[in-house]
Amino acid sequence: MATISSISLSARANILAKLKKEVVGADYSKLPPEPDYIYPDLTHQEQLAQFITHLENNHAQVIKTDLFNMAHVVTEQLKQRDIDSLLYGKNSQYSGHIEAIDSSITLSDFDFSIDKDNSAAKTRLFYQTPAGITGSRCSIAATGSIVLWPTPQEPRTLSLVPPVHFVIVDAKQLYSDFATLIKEQKWQQNLPTNAILISGPSKTADIQQTLAYGAHGPKELIVLLLNS
Amino acid sequence: MNVHQVDPNESKYSASATAFRANVDRDLANDELRDNFRGAMDYLMDKRKNAFPIEDELETLREKCKLIKQRCLLKLPQLLEQLEANLQRNGIQVHWAESITDANEIIAQLIAQKNGKTVVKGKSMVSEETALNDYLEARDIECLESDMGEYIVQLAHQHPSHIIMPAIHQNKKQVAKLFADNIEGFEYTTDVDALIGEGRRVLRDKFCHADVGISGVNFAVAETGTLCLVENEGNGRMCTTVPDLHIAITGIEKVIEFLDDMPPLLSLLTRSATGQIISTYFNMITHRRQEGDKDGPAEVHLVLLDNGRSQAFADEEMRQTLQCIRCGACMNHCPVYTRIGGHAYGTVYPGPIGKIISPHMLGIDATKDLFTASSLCGACGDVCPVKIPIPKLLLRLRKESVRKQSDGSPQIMHGQGAGRKTIEALLWQGWSIVHKSPTLYRISMFMLTRCRGLMPKKIGPWTTVRTAPQPAAKTLHERIKARNKATTQGAK
Repeated sequence: MATISSISLSARANILAKLKKEVVGADYSKLPPEPDYIYPDLTHQEQLAQFITHLENNHAQVIKTDLFNMAHVVTEQLKQRDIDSLLYGKNSQYSGHIEAIDSSITLSDFDFSIDKDNSAAKTRLFYQTPAGITGSRCSIAATGSIVLWPTPQEPRTLSLVPPVHFVIVDAKQLYSDFATLIKEQKWQQNLPTNAILISGPSKTADIQQTLAYGAHGPKELIVLLLNS
Repeated sequence: MNVHQVDPNESKYSASATAFRANVDRDLANDELRDNFRGAMDYLMDKRKNAFPIEDELETLREKCKLIKQRCLLKLPQLLEQLEANLQRNGIQVHWAESITDANEIIAQLIAQKNGKTVVKGKSMVSEETALNDYLEARDIECLESDMGEYIVQLAHQHPSHIIMPAIHQNKKQVAKLFADNIEGFEYTTDVDALIGEGRRVLRDKFCHADVGISGVNFAVAETGTLCLVENEGNGRMCTTVPDLHIAITGIEKVIEFLDDMPPLLSLLTRSATGQIISTYFNMITHRRQEGDKDGPAEVHLVLLDNGRSQAFADEEMRQTLQCIRCGACMNHCPVYTRIGGHAYGTVYPGPIGKIISPHMLGIDATKDLFTASSLCGACGDVCPVKIPIPKLLLRLRKESVRKQSDGSPQIMHGQGAGRKTIEALLWQGWSIVHKSPTLYRISMFMLTRCRGLMPKKIGPWTTVRTAPQPAAKTLHERIKARNKATTQGAK
């Protein structure tokens, strides 16, 4: 059998040749104008209400708090669920405030690496981590979405694998809609390895259109909304 | 199980598409199956309707997205090159495949290079198209579907019956029985939370230990070199994050020019598909794992598949087929799909979109019955988020299907002319000659009306549910002539 590069090289040449033949001389200056799609102009308070409503409709729990009470809120929520440990990222944006959590909760740092050869770390993350907490970059009112740009301190799996995900959201970083956010933050210039929009806990309706939560990702999404 | 579907050992979909008529008879007779589809389609239509409360807004978005996709298609070759260059710059390797065998072989070799033995797969219709699971299993590589619906379908040795909700043909009792029969230690229950919980338990272990993750792509952004994935369950994120090797596979038509093109398409996709304003997760992958990262795949690959798409691209009318963003709204609103279900088509992509895309993948010879199974009611075209004129394309395919091969007409499609029947062609030829000559027309009409008693009682499928038509005793010309004569006389 042919090697990957020989298959790919000839396929590439053939596909591109076929496609190019059909658009020779296409005049891109005469493309029809595309209509603008504009989201309604809402005040910050209206957007915030919209953001919360959408998240709650999607089964997320939204708790309004502030930086000083946050650790207490998290402690209470964990106790309600009989959870006594929490995974977080040391030296992340809110780590100082997370570390103020009640001493009855074992706080552990995501200081391990998820590799093929590190099955101990994988097992720990998948089976011995009931809850995780992360910050967020910003959020989107129109769809009730929280934007995460995972970092080495708060890796991608921290918001994905533990069954309960606490996410800290700064109400000041709220954008009207995704298109506006991309434009204002100029995402074209600096997309990270992984950018993720989260709009609720993991769910599925794959069995007889019946909604069930906690398909593969977190069963619960608890949004700590920092409202100044 | 009461749902007999496509042969589990069958990976060549073309073989089952030719059995369309027999499949339809089989599935129409299955009441449980029909109930499952009716219920699901009503649910999905309702959800979509509620997601678009303002008609004007929907129309603006549809027009915008249609134009975006048409622009991106017009620039397709250059966008593919740009996508490739940007992905490579980001450390993501790009491979090209003309056929499904090309794609499968590339993926199998990528896995072999890493000594991979276990694969978890996120939902990808393109990998269904290539029958990747069968290809890998034949090479002793376990390839497990991780989307709940796909997992159910794989466990039942079936194929997806819907592109968004793969197990829509099964109800919870059937799933419960399937789990009880196949998963050790599972106690029969029809509680959906418990069923999903069981799927979660089984698949968590697979996510944790799999060597390779395979996913599809919803949008590939040329400008930034970004792969975008839409999902609700989190299995897509698992497959693209936990294993060391991530391989994404997609059709060449999924490339979009700008990052700004994505938000309106995303909004239309999720609302048209399941009535969600956005999916639970929207996952954008731009690099492989970077120095210092604690997770993410060390290698990311993208396989770009043609498989008949360039054939559709070559014809300006049929190129519109490639605007599709795979939302499934056309099947949800199709009266034919709702009644016969997704498996009867015998193709990877069922429903209206399947009828217009499959002929390019499998040839008209293997699919010539599909596009005739439409009442042309137009619902699919009306709900299509990117305004693909599906009914018009169905008519076009019917035309290509009977195209004469001997008169040097252009070769547009693989298998064109396969639906041509000599007797039908002769009849139309005769019709055409007669209608070009007034004398011939009058003579033949005279003969037809006078010989009306000779009309057979049975004329093929027409008379299976209808009585045979009988020509009138006199032609319209004769009757009008007679009436004019009578009125003229009356006036005197």
